[in-house]
Amino acid sequence: MKMEAEIVVSNLVKSYSNNMKALKGIDLRVAKGDFFTLLGPNGAGKSTLIKVLTTLLVKDSGEFTIGGINPEQEKAKIQTYIGVASQENEIDPNEKVENLLVFQGRLFGLSYSEAKLRAEELINLFQLAEYRSKRSETLSGGYKRRLHCALALVHRPKVLFLDEPTVGMDPLARANFWEVINQLNKKETTTIFLTTQYLDEADKNANAMAFILNGKIEYSGTISEFKNKVSKSEAMSLDDSYLEFIKSLSNN
Amino acid sequence: MNSNILLIRRAIVKLIKQPSAPLMGFGMSLFFLIVYNAGIGGVGYLDIFEGKGYLSFLFPMTIISLAMGSSAGAGQTLNSDMQSGYFKRLYFSPASRWALVIAPMIADVISSLFFTGILLCVGALFGVTFQYGLLSVLGILLLSLLWSVTLSGFSAGVMIRTGQHQSAALVTNAVFLLIFLSTTFLPRELITAKWLLAASWGNPATYILEGCRYLLAGTSDAWFFNIALVLFSITTIISLLFALSSARKMKIQYP
Repeated sequence: MKMEAEIVVSNLVKSYSNNMKALKGIDLRVAKGDFFTLLGPNGAGKSTLIKVLTTLLVKDSGEFTIGGINPEQEKAKIQTYIGVASQENEIDPNEKVENLLVFQGRLFGLSYSEAKLRAEELINLFQLAEYRSKRSETLSGGYKRRLHCALALVHRPKVLFLDEPTVGMDPLARANFWEVINQLNKKETTTIFLTTQYLDEADKNANAMAFILNGKIEYSGTISEFKNKVSKSEAMSLDDSYLEFIKSLSNN
Repeated sequence: MNSNILLIRRAIVKLIKQPSAPLMGFGMSLFFLIVYNAGIGGVGYLDIFEGKGYLSFLFPMTIISLAMGSSAGAGQTLNSDMQSGYFKRLYFSPASRWALVIAPMIADVISSLFFTGILLCVGALFGVTFQYGLLSVLGILLLSLLWSVTLSGFSAGVMIRTGQHQSAALVTNAVFLLIFLSTTFLPRELITAKWLLAASWGNPATYILEGCRYLLAGTSDAWFFNIALVLFSITTIISLLFALSSARKMKIQYP
């Protein structure tokens, strides 16, 4: 049975002002509730695709919808539908952890008591209780990252974009972070759209993937199908399959 | 509470917690007033000051320099949010783009009016006269409001368009020059350089200075005040439009 599509991208093109084509006609479909990962080397177009999908960049041509919403035409609607945790932390350094979460909730229309409750949930989920009354600038890199991701989840988005989310986290923080994200994906059926260079993380957590190279999707499907396609063995790690795949593309 | 109102409240709270820009404007204004009055206040005995003294003549300068300091606040708030990346978080929220720009401007204008009120109290304590009593106070607050919206709007708009704090400071620097190209320190009759006289006529700051003098010591004509009102109502509208169009064109800068 074909799963209902959450993100549908067709023939998406984006160029930068220096005439460099970052996306050369992307076609992609991510099913509702998928834990999807977009893989590819640096400069392949991963971040550009996320920026276009989250309305930070305007496409040149093509179409895309998220949850049936056209993000370029319904900006207010899409902002409550998606959550974005980009590569850089987006935190007010002078504000206290709990206040930041409560304010974020209120921005998304929660009442003060609802926002306080949601902040409490996220503080527990991301193990930030010890730091709730501390100014965010005093947190370590890993905890800043947790807060950054918690802020993206305050309004319970249906689709969560994670752009290299675990950069700077220690192994324990990373394990904890993925536990939280998996919980969201499984229990709340939040669709996850992840880009990462840590392929072990993608291998462990994601079920669907696409491989992008030079602004083109070279593969789209499940991770196990990808491994089978590349090495005829699911036992091979995603790391090895990835390298093998790049080699075969360059040979072709 | 509406997300736009929340942003405005945040900008005001932020300014209260980090009041360096308005305090600097206030301190600078008071410093200029004290130093210039101490240095050349003796000229106030000349007939041309009509026995009202130099302090009332010099006082309007503080209104201009105060807003000059405060106006940097909007740019500073936007700059600190952009530097920390938090601006992107706000950008992804349902708050409208115009609110992201207008919120720090409103905080600036409120602080500018607050410190103008304090300056007026300080001036009154040291003998500045108010020709039309409460009406003079209201008139000065109105001019201060228009002047600070003008400066804040340009400062915020430039900040949004360039993403660089240094560019927003251009507005402050330009206004700083205007102070010296006007009748700030001496009446027109005592300015001997013809080029400076000519520059003062074309300088918008002159109309605020003279308009305030009309309201304070009554040593200037009413039409200066009227021109100042019309002129700065226009610049306020232009500045607001500039800030709003900057918000509309706003793009989040990524590396």
